[in-house]
This record gives sequence, structure tokens and C-alpha cells, in this order.
Amino acid sequence: MNTPAVAAIRTGAALREALASARETWTETATAGGVIVAVALLAPLVLGGLIATDTLASGAYLALAATGLALCVGLAGVPSLAQGAFVGTGAFAAAHLLRHTQLPAEMCALIGALTAAGLGTAAGFAVRSLDAVRVAVGTWLLTWLVALALGVLPWLSGGAQGLVVPTRRLFGFSPTPLVHYELAVVLTGLCALAFVALRRGPFGLDLAAAAQHRGAAAALGVPMERLRVGAFAASAFVGGLAGGFVVQLDIVADPTAYGPLLSFELLVAVLVGGAAAALGPSAGVVVLGMIALAARALGALAGVSGSRFQPMLEALLLLAVLTTGGSALVPAVSTAARRFLPRRRSRARPTAASSPKRRELLRGEGLAKHFGAIPAVDGVSLELAPGSITALVGPNGSGKTTLLRLLSGALPPDQGRIELGSRDVTTATPTQRVRLGLVRTLQTRSYFGELTVLEHALVGTNRTRRHGGAIRTIVSTPLYRAENRVAEAHALAALEAVGLAADASRPVSELTGAEQQRLMIAAALATNPAVLLLDEPSAGAGSADLDRLEAILLRLKADGLAMLLVEHNLRLLRAVADEILELELGRVVRHARNVRL
Amino acid sequence: MRATAAALVALALVAAGCGSSSAKQQGRILVVVDAPFSQSPYIGNTIANGARLAADQLTARGITTGGTTYKVRVLRLDNALSPSRAVANVRRALREHATAILTDGTGVDATWRLAEKQNVPIGITYQGGGALVNPETRPNVFRIAPTDHGLAFRLAEYLVPKGLKIGLLTDDSDYGQEGRAALDDAFRTLPKAVAVRITLPSSAGDLAPQALEARRSGATALLVWARPAVLAKTIAAARSAGWRVPVYTTPAGEDPVVRQQLADHPSWVDGLTFASGRMTAELGPAPWSTFEAAYEAAFGATSVGVKSLGRRVIAPPDYAMYSYDFVNVLAAAVQSAAGTDAAKVLAALNQVSTRGANGDERGFNERNHEGVVDDDVYFARFRDMIFRPVGDDPLSSTLPVISQVR
Repeated sequence: MNTPAVAAIRTGAALREALASARETWTETATAGGVIVAVALLAPLVLGGLIATDTLASGAYLALAATGLALCVGLAGVPSLAQGAFVGTGAFAAAHLLRHTQLPAEMCALIGALTAAGLGTAAGFAVRSLDAVRVAVGTWLLTWLVALALGVLPWLSGGAQGLVVPTRRLFGFSPTPLVHYELAVVLTGLCALAFVALRRGPFGLDLAAAAQHRGAAAALGVPMERLRVGAFAASAFVGGLAGGFVVQLDIVADPTAYGPLLSFELLVAVLVGGAAAALGPSAGVVVLGMIALAARALGALAGVSGSRFQPMLEALLLLAVLTTGGSALVPAVSTAARRFLPRRRSRARPTAASSPKRRELLRGEGLAKHFGAIPAVDGVSLELAPGSITALVGPNGSGKTTLLRLLSGALPPDQGRIELGSRDVTTATPTQRVRLGLVRTLQTRSYFGELTVLEHALVGTNRTRRHGGAIRTIVSTPLYRAENRVAEAHALAALEAVGLAADASRPVSELTGAEQQRLMIAAALATNPAVLLLDEPSAGAGSADLDRLEAILLRLKADGLAMLLVEHNLRLLRAVADEILELELGRVVRHARNVRL
Repeated sequence: MRATAAALVALALVAAGCGSSSAKQQGRILVVVDAPFSQSPYIGNTIANGARLAADQLTARGITTGGTTYKVRVLRLDNALSPSRAVANVRRALREHATAILTDGTGVDATWRLAEKQNVPIGITYQGGGALVNPETRPNVFRIAPTDHGLAFRLAEYLVPKGLKIGLLTDDSDYGQEGRAALDDAFRTLPKAVAVRITLPSSAGDLAPQALEARRSGATALLVWARPAVLAKTIAAARSAGWRVPVYTTPAGEDPVVRQQLADHPSWVDGLTFASGRMTAELGPAPWSTFEAAYEAAFGATSVGVKSLGRRVIAPPDYAMYSYDFVNVLAAAVQSAAGTDAAKVLAALNQVSTRGANGDERGFNERNHEGVVDDDVYFARFRDMIFRPVGDDPLSSTLPVISQVR
């Protein structure tokens, strides 16, 4: 058979497989979303007499920018107040290109989006490790900076008159408000689809994990800072794209249009509509449109411009949503609708399959860590051999957890060396160590409460993936889908190892404390480790749970895993430990092999 | 049979009679006022009220042409000083088949092309940059208001012969930046007259550092081109430091905000001199008085919020005069065009003229779309919270004092 024929057959097979995969993951929500987008496309025909098409198109671009913001707020849980600045950056970059080059309109918008993504990357980098409040303040300042820059640099902003942009054909069409509206709806729909794909994929799961419990995510090697920068860049790209097109609709880049108020309105739209729902931001924009109408009515009553009431009403709405703890619009509607819809049959899961075992020796030599003048770990050396459990005991404050943090990379040692197999991992990041096979669980019960049990375990498998990047996820390439099945099988195998496979679909928050402890071990196992560092896994466990934990640890040991166990429960230690290291004031005061306590 | 025929004839006559009375058609002249009602209500309301007064008078008087009687309607749309909002407003105006669009000038660079496609005239009735109006490149843009260029050159012409060392203070708003450009142009050949150029930060609570910098530069007069609130802060900064330097400014000086903000120190306002378009022409104050009386009867006097010698101070509706005049010129164009056909009305705007509210002739031609010539800029100085034309300028000294107390 000739090459084109083979390629055609392969392409056909891949498409069939993609279709089957899409059919399998299709939900009622997806159907509803599709219907909403289709109705939105026809809106100018229905609302043409009531709302002007250019107003609809402006709103649709606002929805696109808000959907972009949801990538930051909904996926990463980061309250960015910089989206208005990103929209403005895209708008002015595109405006300058349209004025000074002959590039096609779409290309100008795309370059505007890339410029905004550059600013988003810088902003994300600046706030990558800040908490939510500081992120909000930092991004708010960025928005002000951009607004002030536009105000004081007339060569950039065009001054009071703005930058008037020439109109060019858009995808071959005359750039009428109707064409802009349809384009904005299509782009918003595509962005919502990308949002759904990312939310379900490794990128979204990692971001959700990082947003729900930073410590636990870090222990599983989730590269939180890199992901946050990525979320900011993606969010800014979409905002910039909206700006690059809206400036062509407005035929002017308006320096007054992209200030802090726009950022605030976009955040309100996302929070009111639903940050975690793909169409939530669009619903939020519709609510804002209604608020504008209400403000106009109030303004007419008070004899002043309605625009004076609008920010006030928006702030009140946001306050109501935040203080009453009420659900956002789309999640609330979705929950209500589910009561009336037949329960969907859960899709078939792949059979659990363990990943190929990794067997490595972990060696720490002369490890030391001081906090000021106090030695937390002082010259500790240890070896964790495959198929063995080493217990680390000692009184509180003896340095057990600090030693675990040194080994896992959460803290850099002041002195000493750490080797995993033949590799020196002393300076490796936690993420790199997890990828190499060294993983840790936390002392406190640390879990991602808003995920399902399977998703929780999948966070672990993400470290073993090679084809789970954001672009592959959005496009859903064959490699990505194939790897998805493997990851799911490995996650199920990890859950099976701790006796939670039957609970795969349950929300983590519904598990008992002991089950949650085991789930943490499962997530760690899902990373396919060679060495497992366990920090008090029996905390809070009852007698039956302890028996189960003992069995799990022994089975893992039999499988060849090297384990370091920080534990106070002597019964468990007696049952599973091969060696005992006793720490006191950061030093090993006793080391016993082949003992029974 | 005869009775039936008679009845049919009677019915036919009634029908014919109805037809003849309905032949008198009703038409509409829609004037859209696109102004910053939310951001600068004084400017927005002034423009809209002037247009509304003219519209009401024209409707009451009746405009009949081409067999159609027209009513003039005014629609207010807020542009919030935003060019993109102005574009949206102009799109709406075009959808509603507006006969003309009146604006303060916001977003005209972007909107004129949209309006031009449908031959709809745009009338600017507030002070602004000279580039906004150009009959060759923007045949549908007209202006009845002083230009930045006219104000700047008249100020230079007035101040330089006094031998003053002038501190040019402009704020960082768009208004100030455009003023800076106009002043740079006007003083380009007179560099020795300029002691210092300072940009005033609009957001600063206290402008004492800028006032001190101007004082140290050796300035013997300040020419402030800034928004009213910044102008008030500049005067406060100079006067509170004991600096009795004369202050000159643009029409921002007559904005009620300035006097309101300095109400605690009325003496600080004394001597403030501003340039603006004259309210009275060679015909004397009678036309203006008629206009002002009609304006106050329709909308009431615009109270400044301060008192002069115990009497309430009002702001004369001088900028309302410009929108009032534009609507009247537009009505004349509709009559000349025998209807509201956009292309014909636009062409007629270059042909017609009317007597303006101050008695001046208002009109345009193919080569000039400026309804106020630079020479019509006069100077007035405050004393006891009201202003009077200055005596040391040839034009201003001939102008009567307009009553500003009630």
C-alpha cells in the first residue's frame, strides 16, 4: 500500500478514535453548553430590535476576556485583577500594528494577544509564590500601572482621542458588528472548550491541587509556580485576543476603556457566573449587562447618568455572592438541573495496571540543617534500600520532619549529599525528585477536598506523564489520550494498593480520616516512586485502620519499595520496620538493624 | 339607488377631505447630543440644554419645508469622555437616523468617518484641538466653539506685551496635554517670555511643590491650562504660600468648580483671568440677554454655589450658546435642503447662516467649518466671585458686563 493511503487510513482511525473518546466523555452539561452557544450565535436575529449588534459584540468580547480570566481564577484559584490590563495591552498592540503595518487584522489581534501573554507571563512570574490577597493587590497595581501609562504617554495611547484604527477585512468578511459578534461567540465557545479540556486534564488537576492544598501538591511534585505562570500567560493571551479584536470593533483604542474598572467588572463576571464553570464567565457578563440596564433605570429615576450606579450595583452583587456564600450562577443552575435529569451512567474505566517498578537506593550523607543557631538536623547519614522500611523515631522537635523535608527537597540542606541510585539529587527540586522516584507524604492530613478520589490519585500520575502539556490537552492528541488511559490505569492501581479502588468516583471530602490518609499514600504511589517517605501515616487511625495500613506497608515493601517511616505508633513500627534510626536534637543517637522493638 | 349614489359620493368626498388633510406630513429632526454627562456634567448639560432650547423653540415655531413640518428632538447619550463610548453613541445615532450629532469633541477622530459614510454632520460645541476640524479631510465635522489654537494665541498675544515672565502650567490630563501642545505652538517664537514649563499631576492633593518651582523660576505670571479642579488647587497652592502672582487660564476658569473649591478664600479668586468666547457681539447685549432669559426660563439659572456681596452667583450659559446656535444652523440647512436628506443637509450646512444667540453671524462654508473665529476670544477677570471683561484688551474692553447675580 502506498504512503498516502496508509496515512489516510491512520488519520481515519485516529479520527474515529477521537470521536469515540469525545462520545464517551460527552455529558448533558456539554449538550447544554452546545445549545447555549448555538442560541448565542443566533441572538442578533432575535435581539436585533432590542439590543444593538455592536453592543452584543462588545459584550461577547467581554465574555471572551472573562472566560480567559477564568483560566486564572477558576483553574488556578488565583484572584487576578489584571485582566483589564491584558485586554488593554492586546488592544493597543493590535492598534499600533493596524496603524503602522499592512498585516491582516487577525494577525494584528494575534500579535496583540501574544504581547499580552508576555505581560501575563511577567505578571505571573512576579506573583508566582504569593498568597491570594497579595496576588489581588499585586495585579490591581499592575492594572493601575497600565492605566497610568496610557494616561501619561499620548504617543502610546493616542491621548484624549485614543488611537483610531483602520478597518480591515476579518477572515474574508467585511468587519461589521455582526461579523465581530459571531467571531466573539465562536472564540468564547472555543475558549470554554479549552477551559473544560484543561480542567479535566493534568494541567487543571495540578492547578486545582495547588489551589486546594499547596503543601500536599508540593509533596507530590506539582510544579506550582510554573503552572501559575502558565495560567497567567494563558489568561492574558485570551484577554489580549479579546482586546485585539474589540479594538477593531470600536475602531479606536480607547485609553479610558481598559482601566481598573474593567478588571473589576471581569472579576465580578467570573465570580458571579461561576469561576469553575466553562460558561460561568459568559453568564456573569450577561448578569453585568442586566445590571447596566438596572443602573440606567436607577439613573433615570435619580436624574443622573446610569453609569454612576453601575459599579456600585456590581460591587453590591459581588458582596452578596461572597458574603452569603451563595453558589455562583452556573453551578447553581447546573446543580438544580441535575435533580431533574436522569443520573448518567458512569463511563467504563480502564483496568487497573501498575506501572513498571523502579528500584533505587536512597543515600543521605552528613545531612545538616540549621535554623539560625539551632541545629535541626546535624550530620545525619542514612541508607534506604529497596524492599525495606526504615523507621525514624524520636521525641517531638528531634528533627524527623526536617530530615524528611531535606530528603524530599522541600528544604535545601546546609551540608551533606543526597543520592538516589547513582544520581546526585542534593540540589534537585521537589518536582525533579518526584519524577526521579522520591516522594513524600505529609504529617498532617493533607488532601484535595474538591477532587474525586481518582482525580486525587491522578495528580500523582501527572509526574510520570510526557504528553500531558496544556496544548496537547486542549487539542487532545492521540498520544495524550493514550497516555490518559495509562495514567488512569496506574492511578486505579495505586488506589487498589490502598484499598480505595471502589471509591474512585467519590469526592475526597466524603472519605473517613483513615481513608484520606491512605489516599495520600495512593497519590504518592501514583507517582511510581522508588522511595517513599511517610510522615506519621497512622495519625488518627483506629485499630482496624492500623491493621490495614500495616498490610499495605508490608505489601509495598514486598514489592521492593524503599520506605522511610516517621511514626510514633510502636505497634506499627514493630510490625513493619526493618531498621530504626532514633534522632535526638537532630543527631542519630541510635541505629538498630533487624530488630523487633 | 340615487340615495346610495349620493351616499357613495359623500363618502368619497369625506375620504378626499381626509386625504388632503393628511398630506401635511410630520417629520423629525433628531439631534443626538454625545457628551460627558457622567464625567463632566456641567459641560454635558450645558451642551444638551442649549440644543434642547433651540429644539423647543424651533418646534414651537414650526419648521415647514417641502410639504413637511418638522419637530426637533434631542437625544442625550453619555460618552463619559471615552472615545469608544463615543463610537457606540454615534453608531446608535446613525441607527436612529439622526440628522446631526452634537459633541464636546470626545472621540471625533474615530467617529467622523462613521458619520461621514451616512453624510451625518458632527457639530463640536466645546473648546478643543484644531486638528479635529478640517473641511477638506473631514467634510462632515463642524465646530462652534473657541479652538485651543485660538485661545493659546490670544493668550500669548495678550500676555507677552505686558513683559511678564510666564510659568506655563499644564496638567497631565488629556485636556492639559492638548493645551501644552497649543501653548508650545503659540510661544514657539517667544521663548524669552516663558520662565518655566511645569506639568501638574492631576491626582496630587497639594500642588505646593509645583507652585514653589514656578516661583523659584522667576515667573511673574502663571498661565494654567488644566481641568477646573487642578486649576483651583494651583491657585490655592500659590496663594496659601503668600504668592500674589497673576493667574491666567482657559475657559476652565469660569467653571463653577473653581469657585466652589476656593469658596473659603474668595480673595484667592480675585484677579483670576480667563480666556473664552465672547458672549456679546457688536449688536450689544440684547441678543444675549434674550437668549439667557429663555435659557433660564427653560432650565433655571445655573447656580455656581457661591455668593457675591450676599447675592447668589449664577454661571452664564455661554457654552450652551454654541449648541443652541448649531441646532439653529442645522434647522436652516434642513429648510434649505427642503428635507432631511442627509447628503443635502450636509451640503446645505456649507451654505446657510443664522443669527447666533450673541448676535454674531453663525455659519460655515466649504473652506471653513469653524463657527467661532480666533478673534472672538476675549478675556475676563474675577472680582468678588463674578467676572468682568478686562479693560486692557481691545476686544474685551468693548464688551459689556453680563449680570451674574440673582
